[in-house]
Amino acid sequence: MKTHCGSSEHLSRRALLKGSLTTSAGGVVMNWGGLFGNPGWAEEVQRQKKHCILLWMNGGASQFETFDMKVGRPTGGVFRSIATNVPGTQVCELMPHMAQQMDKIAVIRSMRTSEVDHPGGIYLMHTGYRPSATVRFPEVGAIVAKYQGRPGKDLPDFIKVSSQGDAGAGFLGPRYQPFGIGSKGDLPPFTNSSLAKEVESRRHELRSFVESQYTQDNPSQLARMHHEAYEAARRLQSVQQKFKLDAEWDKYRELYGDSGFGRRCLLARKLVESGVAFIEVGQSSYDSHADNASWHKGLVPPMEQAWAGLLTDLKDRGLLDNTLVVWTGEIGRTPKINNRAGRDHYVRCWSTALAGCGIKGGLVYGESDADGVEVKDSPVSEGDFFATIYQSLSINPREENFAGVRPVPLAPFGSKVVTDLLA
Amino acid sequence: MRWSLNTMAIGFAVLAASALVSADDKPLRAVIDDQVRAVWEKEKLTPARPATDAEFLRRVYLDLCGSVPTYDETVSFLADATADKRATLIDRLLDDPRFAQHQADIWDMILFGRNPPGFDTDKREGIQRWLREQFAKNTPYDALALAILRAEGNTLDDGPPMFYVQYRNQPEDVNEAISQIFLGVQLQCARCHDHPYETWKQTDFFGMAAFLARLEVVTVGKANNLTKYAIGEKNSGDILFTGPAKDQSPGKKGEPLKPKFLLGAALDEPPLPKDFKEVKFEANKPPPPPKFSRKDQLAAWITQPDNPYFARAIANRVWAQFLGRGLVHPVDNMSPANQPSHPDLLAALATALRDHRFDLRWYIRELVNSQTYQLSSIGGSGEQNPQLYIAARTRPLSAEELVEAWRITTGYAAVETTSPPKGVATGRFRPLESGYMLRFFGQPNSGTGDFQGGLQEHLYLNNGPLRNLLTTAKGSLLATVSDTSLPIDARVERLYLALLHRPPRDVERQRMSEYVSVASAKSDERWAEAMWVLMTCSEFRFNH
Repeated sequence: MKTHCGSSEHLSRRALLKGSLTTSAGGVVMNWGGLFGNPGWAEEVQRQKKHCILLWMNGGASQFETFDMKVGRPTGGVFRSIATNVPGTQVCELMPHMAQQMDKIAVIRSMRTSEVDHPGGIYLMHTGYRPSATVRFPEVGAIVAKYQGRPGKDLPDFIKVSSQGDAGAGFLGPRYQPFGIGSKGDLPPFTNSSLAKEVESRRHELRSFVESQYTQDNPSQLARMHHEAYEAARRLQSVQQKFKLDAEWDKYRELYGDSGFGRRCLLARKLVESGVAFIEVGQSSYDSHADNASWHKGLVPPMEQAWAGLLTDLKDRGLLDNTLVVWTGEIGRTPKINNRAGRDHYVRCWSTALAGCGIKGGLVYGESDADGVEVKDSPVSEGDFFATIYQSLSINPREENFAGVRPVPLAPFGSKVVTDLLA
Repeated sequence: MRWSLNTMAIGFAVLAASALVSADDKPLRAVIDDQVRAVWEKEKLTPARPATDAEFLRRVYLDLCGSVPTYDETVSFLADATADKRATLIDRLLDDPRFAQHQADIWDMILFGRNPPGFDTDKREGIQRWLREQFAKNTPYDALALAILRAEGNTLDDGPPMFYVQYRNQPEDVNEAISQIFLGVQLQCARCHDHPYETWKQTDFFGMAAFLARLEVVTVGKANNLTKYAIGEKNSGDILFTGPAKDQSPGKKGEPLKPKFLLGAALDEPPLPKDFKEVKFEANKPPPPPKFSRKDQLAAWITQPDNPYFARAIANRVWAQFLGRGLVHPVDNMSPANQPSHPDLLAALATALRDHRFDLRWYIRELVNSQTYQLSSIGGSGEQNPQLYIAARTRPLSAEELVEAWRITTGYAAVETTSPPKGVATGRFRPLESGYMLRFFGQPNSGTGDFQGGLQEHLYLNNGPLRNLLTTAKGSLLATVSDTSLPIDARVERLYLALLHRPPRDVERQRMSEYVSVASAKSDERWAEAMWVLMTCSEFRFNH
């Protein structure tokens, strides 16, 4: 009850405001007015909608220093493995907090993907597709925003907090473009209005009238999109406090760990609670071509503590059942440790992880060979990975959108949902 | 034999047939209208009504000059009763310096995009100035392309070498760009593998790249803190072909591949003398020309009148610029798998353009004088059938156009002082910051209506510094409309004519009068708000 209270109250307040705007604004604003005084339905909507948080390890975290330990092998590196709360499953000693969350997550140790460098990999692991000169594929965030977002609500459906990837909404169009937040939760420029409320309000009403004059006989999709974006920008004014953390941080510092990534993960949880469909949280600098062990020693502990805190917090609030948490970067790292004690780019066999939203916890899927060079069992392609993500979010991976006249399925043609991962 | 050659043969047959069509001296604008209409009739479609004078006026200003008419120009055009006033306006705008500026802007975007790959290409005033000069004197397109491809001189004093500089010493990248821009074909898939559906083989890609393998960017001096670059060409050096990307392995060396024209003959190349020693380019000295220039051979082949791609590519590209969509769409993907919507028309356009010696100003004049261009954007079944040109396209204004339109319509441009107040930006986007405008509105738009503005654009419109444009200096729009000595009705009329280039409808007249009539402490505040509304609305944001 407690978790939904804030949001339904919020919807109702907005509904009141919008009631006076819908006529002049045209049909773009969904009528939430009926929700007022009917919190039961609001909760139902909230409950059915699914969310996704993508934890993006930019540069490519090493599987050998996280989930696919090869202790004692020439490729194994310097760290030891530790036991977890799942008997028989071990992870890197850099991840003591996640070791206690392994019952919630499914690790895939058999990723085999097809873009070995950063730009291509970042594109691939955000869209499921390799870069193409002719089709601008949308990112997973834009797709989730389209199928699990809620039109007419105040917060954008796709929010990126200090992360990478510039494919954006691709051919899905500007309505699903990501809204970017800085590494400290800072909002983009020009988010704040300096106008007095009544001035902003009357100016808005006049503008709605002018827009309706144009759109009533002009069928252009462009004008419609322009207007939707305007509405969204305007509504953002009233929800800026959702991006502020300072008041709460003290309470959660211990759970998420005192790091920038921890704060960003708390923000992601708050945004899920506020109804945002997709939030991406980035952590950078995994590209450890030299000194791989030191880099991971610095990066993994704050990341894994924040991730564990996020899973705990989502679970405690009853949100994990409807929130998928994806952990991946664009590439894995080489089994061979190079002459600078680094690991280079590697996509023939690497690891990712999923949790929540119908994903089986306590599972390790797929297997690498003794040295982590090749996938020994059950390879998972980028297409399979995204098909599984969509399936878990109740989105049909074979659903097609059109890039011009060309039908494009959400997950590439021929991708398979890894059903073993789904409860 | 690959079937592309057959396609080419068919293409030539069509060219020959259409040459007969134009032999009866029918103006190209009539050929366009006849062929577009023939498809409507076949498909039983009704086109939109012709554009009103007001619709035409704003559209043609934006398309030709990247700007909008002033209030005075609008009023005088709308009141003009002469029958050929549209053709007269077109002729005047084609001679306007802003025509050269706007076409140069468009070509700057085609050649570099908004975010070129670096190497000082963000400071490319040399080639921008050069492009402006070419459009001002109406250099034939084949000569313009030839100069870019030969890249003589340096980046500051001459300009053209900057096109190659952005791809610094990467022949594969230059090849992709040249093929797309000047030939209208996409070879990039063939960089890594033979294409499953297209005609190109990997050896076609590398055969073309081989022409460019000997180029080297050379620093030849400095001026005004900018580096001067020139393009040197060595006498030796080959591109190494290693086969399909998937079969590559470390240590495998490729085979040198000789230059070969796309789907054509191999280059006939004189051998180097036995005792030849390769020159080394020296800093701050113009690189000596090679004994035999592969680059110049390629440039000559691309721009020769009977090149099977060149005329079609430019005819199609400029068509798309004005009609919103290429006859082959997208414009840089001509291939057997992507056929034109109106094959005969494309052939006729290419032939006519070639026969007129690639005179782009003549070609553009024909396009914008056609009834097809002069349709309204409202009505017909245009949105469902953009490839049948049933209605005029709606496209977003570019960052440059939008700022220019604000500067003109608010009267800022007319009344601005030569030295702006402290803290106000100078430069082309004054009084706005070019950085923000390019970031939020700067995505290149090819005229295809690919609108990618989103939340951020509106945050800027809502909360950004647009107020800086609303000067109250005498002669500005805000000063004029808030002048209480004029009747309110006339002021509302002025507001609409100045900002949207049309008189207000009755309902607009009434609503706007009510809005500005409320007494307030600052009399011009309501007018400023009304101006903001019209400056940010869809009717302003788009060219329609």
